[in-house]
Amino acid sequence: MHKHDIKQWIVPGILAASTIVKFSIGLGTYSGYATPPMHGDYEAQRHWMELTVHLPFREWYTYDLLYWGLDYPPLTAYVSWLCGLVAHWIDPSWVALDKSRGIETPESKVFMRTTVVGFDALVYVPALLLFIQTWQGSRSKRTQDLALLTLILQPALLLIDFGHFQYNSVMLGFTLLAMNFFAMGNDLVGAFFFVLSLGFKQMALYYAPAIGSYLIAKCLYLGPTEGTHHFIRLGVVTASTFILLFLPWLPPFASFSAILQPIRRIFPFARGLFEDKVANFWCASNVVFKWKAWASSNTLVKLSTLFTALGFLPAVAGLVRAGMTMSTGDSSAAAKKNDDAPPAAPQMTEKKEPTPFLPLLPYALLTSSMSFFLFSFQVHEKTILLPLLPMTLLLSGAPIDSAAYSWGVLVNNVAVFSMWPLLKRDGLGVQYIATLLLWNRLIGHDPLKLRPKSFVQLLSMAVYAAAIALHLAEVVISAPARYPDIYPVLNVLISTPVFFLAWLWSIKCGVEVGWAVSGIGHHAQPSARQTSSEDAGGVTHSGLRQSGGRAVSLGYKRKSQQPQQPVTIEMDGAASRERGDKN
Amino acid sequence: MAPEPEGVSASKTLNKSSSLSSLRSSSSSLFRDSWFYWHVLPSEWDIFWLSTALKLLLFPAYRSTDFEVHRNWLAITHSLPISKWYYDTTSEWTLDYPPFFAYFEKLMSIPASFIDPKIVDLNNLNYDAWSVIAYQRVTVILTELVLGAVLLKFIRGSVDPPMQRIISASIFLHPGFLIVDHIHFQYNGFMYGILLWSILLARNGNKLASGILFAILLNFKHIYMYLAPAYFIYLLRSFCLSPTGHILIKNFLSLANAVIAIFVVSLGPFAIMGQIPQLLSRLFPFTRGLNHAYWAPNFWALVTAADRVLLKYAQITGAKFAINESGVASSSRGLVGDTVFAVLPNIRPIHTFIITVVFQLIWLVKLWRSPSYKSFLTALTLSGWTSFLFGWHVHEKAVLLILIPLSLLSAERHAYFRTFIIASVAGVFSLFPLIFTPAESIIKVTYSALWITAVYLPLSRRVYEYPISILYVIMDTLEKVYLSGFPFLMLFVSVFPLARSRPSPGPSAMEFLPLMATSIYCAIGLVWSFMRLGYIYLQEETKYQGQLSEIK
Repeated sequence: MHKHDIKQWIVPGILAASTIVKFSIGLGTYSGYATPPMHGDYEAQRHWMELTVHLPFREWYTYDLLYWGLDYPPLTAYVSWLCGLVAHWIDPSWVALDKSRGIETPESKVFMRTTVVGFDALVYVPALLLFIQTWQGSRSKRTQDLALLTLILQPALLLIDFGHFQYNSVMLGFTLLAMNFFAMGNDLVGAFFFVLSLGFKQMALYYAPAIGSYLIAKCLYLGPTEGTHHFIRLGVVTASTFILLFLPWLPPFASFSAILQPIRRIFPFARGLFEDKVANFWCASNVVFKWKAWASSNTLVKLSTLFTALGFLPAVAGLVRAGMTMSTGDSSAAAKKNDDAPPAAPQMTEKKEPTPFLPLLPYALLTSSMSFFLFSFQVHEKTILLPLLPMTLLLSGAPIDSAAYSWGVLVNNVAVFSMWPLLKRDGLGVQYIATLLLWNRLIGHDPLKLRPKSFVQLLSMAVYAAAIALHLAEVVISAPARYPDIYPVLNVLISTPVFFLAWLWSIKCGVEVGWAVSGIGHHAQPSARQTSSEDAGGVTHSGLRQSGGRAVSLGYKRKSQQPQQPVTIEMDGAASRERGDKN
Repeated sequence: MAPEPEGVSASKTLNKSSSLSSLRSSSSSLFRDSWFYWHVLPSEWDIFWLSTALKLLLFPAYRSTDFEVHRNWLAITHSLPISKWYYDTTSEWTLDYPPFFAYFEKLMSIPASFIDPKIVDLNNLNYDAWSVIAYQRVTVILTELVLGAVLLKFIRGSVDPPMQRIISASIFLHPGFLIVDHIHFQYNGFMYGILLWSILLARNGNKLASGILFAILLNFKHIYMYLAPAYFIYLLRSFCLSPTGHILIKNFLSLANAVIAIFVVSLGPFAIMGQIPQLLSRLFPFTRGLNHAYWAPNFWALVTAADRVLLKYAQITGAKFAINESGVASSSRGLVGDTVFAVLPNIRPIHTFIITVVFQLIWLVKLWRSPSYKSFLTALTLSGWTSFLFGWHVHEKAVLLILIPLSLLSAERHAYFRTFIIASVAGVFSLFPLIFTPAESIIKVTYSALWITAVYLPLSRRVYEYPISILYVIMDTLEKVYLSGFPFLMLFVSVFPLARSRPSPGPSAMEFLPLMATSIYCAIGLVWSFMRLGYIYLQEETKYQGQLSEIK
């Protein structure tokens, strides 16, 4: 009984501890601290509170655009409005129209920081808890707790949201909620949340190819009749959510042309191929090949779009193929497909059953968002947070000796490293060290104890060595006058290959998991395939067979199969033993 | 972080299966006790690295004037000859710690001068560049390693290692250190490291070294004089006298010589220069009032509060008391200065001194009769506690003098555990007013709540005892009611300033109400748990035997 007492305190304890960490990071400086006249992202967010509180809807996207004009979709504006109202109630001077520009009083800073932690707690944290329940419901309690820690203290997101100052966790949280509802078989609610994610930050578009093709694959899987109905329902939910979000800019509330105001602001094609230094394909290759001199901006837009589309094509194709091959025409036949599941498990209603190709979704999200990050137009260094979400989700359930774990840790650490120039500018150097230390220690990763057993570990060693060498050089030697940007450029050159390889890895895993899930019930698995699928985050044939298409690295819970499968327990035990030592 | 249930239960069974004495004998081998032998478990490294990460994040946190105090001392010791250390008045934050601390600052000023020479510039007052913040914060984290090392040594060779591991972790992660050292800024982690080292040596039977370390500690920070009576009696009775009462002249002389030598090293240079009176006047400024700026939660806070209540009563009902007019305006302002009572008779330093001595004598007589390790530890705690409750001009930070030694007793029996919980909750809460900035306040409250939960859960199931009488049940309920009042007090303290500032901003008579409420409520808990521990101590040999009683 007492032991049980302690266990039930672990999750609240993790939440409290993570709150302490979030507020502690918030003690530091933020983007644009004490740099008038324009300041940075912090001032942009605060300014939006100011203008949404004091101006009518039709002026939100048009008011003084040169001073941090609103360029995020309406949900961000509504959230700013809400925050602005609270701020106005507490102290009107924090959001006084025009007069509050550049306000940096300690009280207003605490208020701003609290809003980020608050919305994080409202959206992202529940999404994580639900993720653990749905996607890792069959794992041991210990693995679940560790997964929660891994996700909630992910250093890159902590540093950007609570240090640099943004609300990315809200967008990511909505996407994660969408994933959770897909896993629960509730696609309509999932679609609704994904639209909210898009409506909060257009950056969620990076996920759109994966989410869209997952839903299309689901429709294909359900067969022509049921699939068409499902497609129409999804279309209605998506469209009506969008309409609701944009309502103030649509007739009859505004003129027909009003909708163009937010749209023009949200998609700024007038900007260049890339700004600053960002660890993607364009910026890295720019070292040897000056893209901007070679082609017009218009050509580059087209080229980058083409590259991006090619980049996420494997994910889309994988999902659609899975949907097609596994479809057996109509819903009753689809139900029969679950014959492989143990007879003890009672059949649930078809609608709530997760689709068998659900394990593909995280990989598809990773492929899609990473391809956007690497190849698309106008990418910011902070955008790496989008590929990091599926990457960390995959990492969170993976055993310590799996490839998913190694890649997850490496990409996470390199992502933080790739944002170093930004964090340094924000004055977040100590926070950079502290969050990396905290997270790596918690997940039981020691960069100094890597053994070159596999390619990814060898790569990790090389990358860490290069990163540390670069940091040391930056401290000791100041950048030569001829190359003032030498350190950011070197940073890009170290980080980009890692992201590129992670993108390739996600495609590889996608293909393998695709084979594994759609191979069920058709023919015996050749042994070669089994070994390769073990690589893919521990998806084993036997595990899949016994739990009916459950990817072990994630292990989402099927409602009909609450009792754990023997195989699952064994693997979880091994994972928690190994990771338990470190924790 | 969250305690590890598996580890605890596993080692508990281990403890049950092997007898206590065998554990002790195996660990007391030379090899295990050597200071060169370190076997740090992964979970212990976890605690170290995770807490270090948090401390790093607190670098930019609020800093009190103590930060500038210590920076100024770096400057004084670095740029002035030793003869001027205790005379310099360039800054208002003059050197008022004993010489060892000054030497310690001198040592730290050497790296500082290489990192940023402006840190040690005497005239560079209120310097707050990133270099000095990072440097001084780092020195706190590094010197706190002494505490960490000693706490590890406490686990090795303890009677009940799994329990001691929890206690050690709880001390290392104590919210008191987080608030006072890593936010407010002081070097308590280092100081308490020395104190615990001395206690550890006493536990291991090395009383001479224990005494020497305590003498060294006294020359770092003289507040540890609160504990000196217990040390004096303990060493005199158990080290300098044989159990039959004969003086052991060799022991006595070695201890006396060692202590004298330490004081000579510390004070010698200043004695030669004839600066002892000046030094003492810096160390003991008797010009201060009964209460500190914010009343420490002690007996006098209750007396002062009673005086306020009586005054209000007199003003409402028509005075029957002789009201001291100068007292009417005095202590409600809560500023540094003499506290003058309006109704009750005024308190002079001699009064506080007499009360302190009387209480101390009770514990010391008991200690004299049973000079065991556990008795010493309890007497030490009570000695500090008495001084804290009844002393003149006590600082709220001195509550750590109670909480840290008391932690070592917390897993002894349920009675000790209860005392520990009440004192810890009240004591840590009483430190909250030190940090008044909103962002840091969220951190201090959440951290403390997490800490007390993480300490309470594993310890409570270990020491649980079935209630034996109706009186016990009533007391238990009252204590629970008292403890559950803290969330409401927290709510009041945080909401009151907001509610008050809305209609009429500006100072008012009610300005200090949250501080007074905190002080009084915490004082109730600290006085009650003091009485609890005193009672337990006097009954110790008959009713409250525990595992520590095995250490002779």
